Formats: sequence, structure tokens, C-alpha cells
Amino acid sequence: MAKSNKKDPSSVGRRDFMKKLGLGVGAVGFGAAAYASGFKNLDKMMETPLAERKLPFWVKEVDEPTVEIDWENMEIFHGPENTLFNPASWENPQDYMDIYDRNIASTKKNVQDNVPGLSLKDRALADANCWGWGGRSGADLASPWAGADVKANPMWEHPTMFYTPEDYGVSKHEGTPEENSKMLRTAGRIMGASDMGFVKLDEKTKKLLWGKITFEDVEKGYAEPEKNKYVLPNKELWAVCSVIPQSLWMQQYSERMSWASSNTMSYSRANIYGNRLSVFLRGLGYQAYGGDTESMGRSVGFGVMAGLGEYGRAGILISPKYGTDIRTVLITITDLPLAVTKPIDAGITKFCETCKKCGEMCPSGAISMEEKPFWGGGEAYQAKGIKGWYMDAKKCYSFMLGGEPDCSRCQTVCPFTKFDDAVIHDLIKLSIGSAPLLNSAIRKMDDIFGYGEEPDLNETPWDLDPMDIPLYGLDKSRS
Amino acid sequence: MKLITWNWFWYVLVGFLMGGGAVMIWHILKNMKLKMVWFEWILLILCFFTFMLMSQTFIASFQEYEPRAAWLSLVFMGIPILLMAVVVYRSINKRYSKIKALS
Ligand code: SF4
Ligand code: SF4
Repeated sequence: MAKSNKKDPSSVGRRDFMKKLGLGVGAVGFGAAAYASGFKNLDKMMETPLAERKLPFWVKEVDEPTVEIDWENMEIFHGPENTLFNPASWENPQDYMDIYDRNIASTKKNVQDNVPGLSLKDRALADANCWGWGGRSGADLASPWAGADVKANPMWEHPTMFYTPEDYGVSKHEGTPEENSKMLRTAGRIMGASDMGFVKLDEKTKKLLWGKITFEDVEKGYAEPEKNKYVLPNKELWAVCSVIPQSLWMQQYSERMSWASSNTMSYSRANIYGNRLSVFLRGLGYQAYGGDTESMGRSVGFGVMAGLGEYGRAGILISPKYGTDIRTVLITITDLPLAVTKPIDAGITKFCETCKKCGEMCPSGAISMEEKPFWGGGEAYQAKGIKGWYMDAKKCYSFMLGGEPDCSRCQTVCPFTKFDDAVIHDLIKLSIGSAPLLNSAIRKMDDIFGYGEEPDLNETPWDLDPMDIPLYGLDKSRS
Repeated sequence: MKLITWNWFWYVLVGFLMGGGAVMIWHILKNMKLKMVWFEWILLILCFFTFMLMSQTFIASFQEYEPRAAWLSLVFMGIPILLMAVVVYRSINKRYSKIKALS
């Protein structure tokens, strides 16, 4: 039976603790200081089952809105088809078309003149964020292989939806690999990736792609899903590796709650993000393949090669900043020349040798407890070639899908998975990266300090003031 | 981004407390006509930085929903602070007693 670090039920509950803190520490002034610095748990103390809407202190609620309304004579507005975005709702639909013709002309001119904020890359980003989700554009959600294929909105044949360099009458985006990488990282942050790395596809790294993917001497890749055939062009290609974060904030609640919101939402965000990235790359005039969570290859492998983290005992990627709290590294293949990011060494894999916390806490016994990494693999669901810890995915899945609540214990208990409010974490990471002799003491202290304890099942976010919940559940340390 | 957030008031408060503390120590030493020796300075500066780290860890750990880490940081960092403070105090006191005895 796997060991659990579940809280002792007789111990003081988290909320009681907060109350005591409020009384005891208030006397020494820390309470006031803590509150002034944004003390969320005091908010918890004040929670009520039906929390009032929290308004800024200078705002008051009134019975009538500050705009006068004549409900007697109020007309019902028919709906969006009556807005001026619909040519039919204009007295003279040609007026609408004229305005859009001018819009098209000025948009084209701005792109051709490379006007800052209105240039090709700006348009590509706008299109990516606007149409990357695929809906209402008439296209299906982007096909995972060929990338998003956004067409003009068929409902109203919206004529401003130009999105390739040819449409603007310019050549494709040109930049040095370094400039391109910087541009992608900026766009990635805006579109929803918390971090990004780039791997050049060569004879080695091509082995991280799925086996169904082959290369041919074609100008553009293509897919024949019915034959399970996915072809990339034989040319210089790069893997854009995007870190899709999940909510650590949500993980203070039960596994089930965490899964319900944090983990699952990260997958949907990943797919929307992948769509956006494909639209962005295509908008720059380059090819994009993949872009959903499953279409390309090994996310941990690419993540390691891109220097987004190190390989960990539980078989997952561990980032120096986000720990294991990464839902996925989304892989998109492109021919946009990029400056590669190198792998990193922050002492993380070395730390796993002594830590073993995920293995001890795994309820299914799926995680290897061997001290040293080893050459393994060989099962259908394991690939050989890595000297690491091979987790028994069958045990994990059987546990997770076999009636038990969804599980992410290996992620939540990992000493690298922490909020980053306390400065001390950086000092600990400095030690892990430079003085591995202290690793075993650090692991012990992690337990003593209560990190990674199983959450109290009675605590849920439902009673909190909604305005205290980070948007999308993403706390600042994940973003 | 706000240039100055509400946290500003907290930083100013801490700044005033630290500045006040430093002036107080300087006055006490001046009144006692005492000068601190090098290792006392080092210990005092270490005390100061450990205290800053401890306060930050204490408050930030509650922000991180880790109450046990918060309280234990007081123990694990507070004890060295106390030890260093006692060493400095005793060292100064010993010299002061000597000076007093001679005068
Ligand atoms: S998800 Fe749960 S069962 Fe699966 S390896 Fe991680 S801790 Fe073990
Ligand atoms: S819990 Fe420990 S052993 Fe497991 S992945 Fe994290 S650091 Fe490595």
C-alpha cells in the first residue's frame, strides 16, 4: 500500500489555522502586514456561503442604473442580424461594402508599408487571436494536421478576412532566426503559452515525432487520415514547443476538483492555442503542422530538448519555474527559421535520484523507486532509448480510470511544484542546481514544512468570493 | 500595470520600521560610547537579512496556502537570528562592562 501524506484529521484544519493566525498574529502586527500584502486566506476567513458581490470601496449599489430607462416604451431589439455588421441592415448595403473596401485598401497599404502595429505580423496575430478558435468562420475547428484553414465568414461573407501574405500582396515575413524566435515567444505569451522553446528537426529529433509521420520530397506536407498517413516535407523544419500551464491554485483543492477545472481546461486551452499558433504561422506565410495535443509527437521529449524543463522520475517534464504543473508541451512543426533553445541543467533529474516523493505518494505504485535512472522500456506504451525512470502507465491508468477519482498526486507532491511567492524557493533551487549533496536534506525539509500534503476534501472553491478566484484559475505564478 | 500598488504602503511601513531600528541602535551605541567590531557587524547584517527572509517567507507562505511552512519558517530562521543576536549582545555587553570597570 502506498504511503499517504494525508493530513491528520485531528490536526488543526486550514481554516481554523487561519482564524488562529488572525487572532494571534494580529497582536504582533504580522496580521496587518500580511493582509496589506494581499493575504488571501483572511478573505477565506470572512467567506460566507452566499458571499456578497465584492465591489471596490468607492462603488455603491443603487436601485436604478445611472442611465435613465423608459421601460414602458422600450423596444425589443431583434438581434445581431440587425447590427451594422450585417450589410442587409444598412439602408444601402453598398455603403457597407464601400466602407469595407476602404478598410481593405488601408489594411493592405499598412501591411505593405510595414506600419508598426499594423504590419504583417500584427495582422497575423490579430487573425490568430480572432479566428484561431475556428468557430463562426465557416471552417471546422482547425484540422490538427494541416493547421487552421480559416475562410471568410460565409454568413455575411465578411470581406476583411485576409490572412496570408499573398492576400496582402506582400512577400512572406522575413527575419533572422533570432528575431523569429523572439517574435514567436511574444506571440505565444499573448496567445496562451507560458513558455516556448524551439527544436530543429534532424535525424535525432525526428525520432521524437510519432511513428506514423514520414517525410517526402514535397513542397507541402499532407495527410491521408484514412490510411493513417501523415507526411512532412523534406526541408528544414523546426518544432515549436509551447508550454500550456495548468492551475496550481486549483490544486489546493481535491484531485477531482483540480481535474475538473485545472487539468481539463488546460487541454481545451491547448487546442485553442494550437489553432491560434497555426493561424499565426500561416499568416506570416509559413507552413504549420500539428497544433493539437496529440498530433505530433512526444511532449516530454521535445520539452527536454527545447530546454523547457528536465526529465523527472514520474516520466513528466519538470520546469524550473512551473515544476510539474504543466499540462502539456504542445508541438507545432513549421518551416519558419528559428533559433533553437538548448536543453537545461538545473539539477532536477539529479534531485529525482534522492527525492522519490512522487513514487512514495503514488496510490497505484506506477512510479519506479529505483534510485538511479536505467535503460528500460520495451512495453508497447514505452519507448526505448532513454536512461530514465520508466513509469508503469498501465497501473496508473487502471487506478485513474478504474473508479478512483482522477489523480495528479505525482504532480502536486513534487517539490518543484510550488507557488513562487516565497523567495526561499529560489534559494532552494539554487542549492539544488549547485550543491546536490544537500538534496536529501531538502527533500526531508519539504515534508516537514508540509508541502504537497493531500488537500482537505471539505474545502472547495464554491464558498469563496468569486472575485478572489484567479481568472481561468491561473494564479500569477503559473502565468 | 499600476506604478504604485497598495503594496507600496507595506514597503514604506517596513522601510520606516527598519530605518527607525537602525537609528535606535546607532543612538544606543553612541550613548554608550561603544563601537562595534567587525564580526559583530557581520552577525548583525546576517541577522538583518535572515530576518527579512524570515518575514518574507512567513507572509508569502500564507499566500501560498502553506500555513505549516509559514510557522516553521519562524522556528528555522528565528532560532539562528536569536542566536546571532545573543552573541552580538553578549559581546558588546562584555566590552561595555570592561570599559565601565576601567572608568
Ligand atoms: S497520476 Fe496518480 S496514479 Fe498515475 S502515476 Fe501519478 S500519482 Fe500515480
Ligand atoms: S517528486 Fe521528486 S522524484 Fe518525483 S519528479 Fe518530483 S523531484 Fe522527481
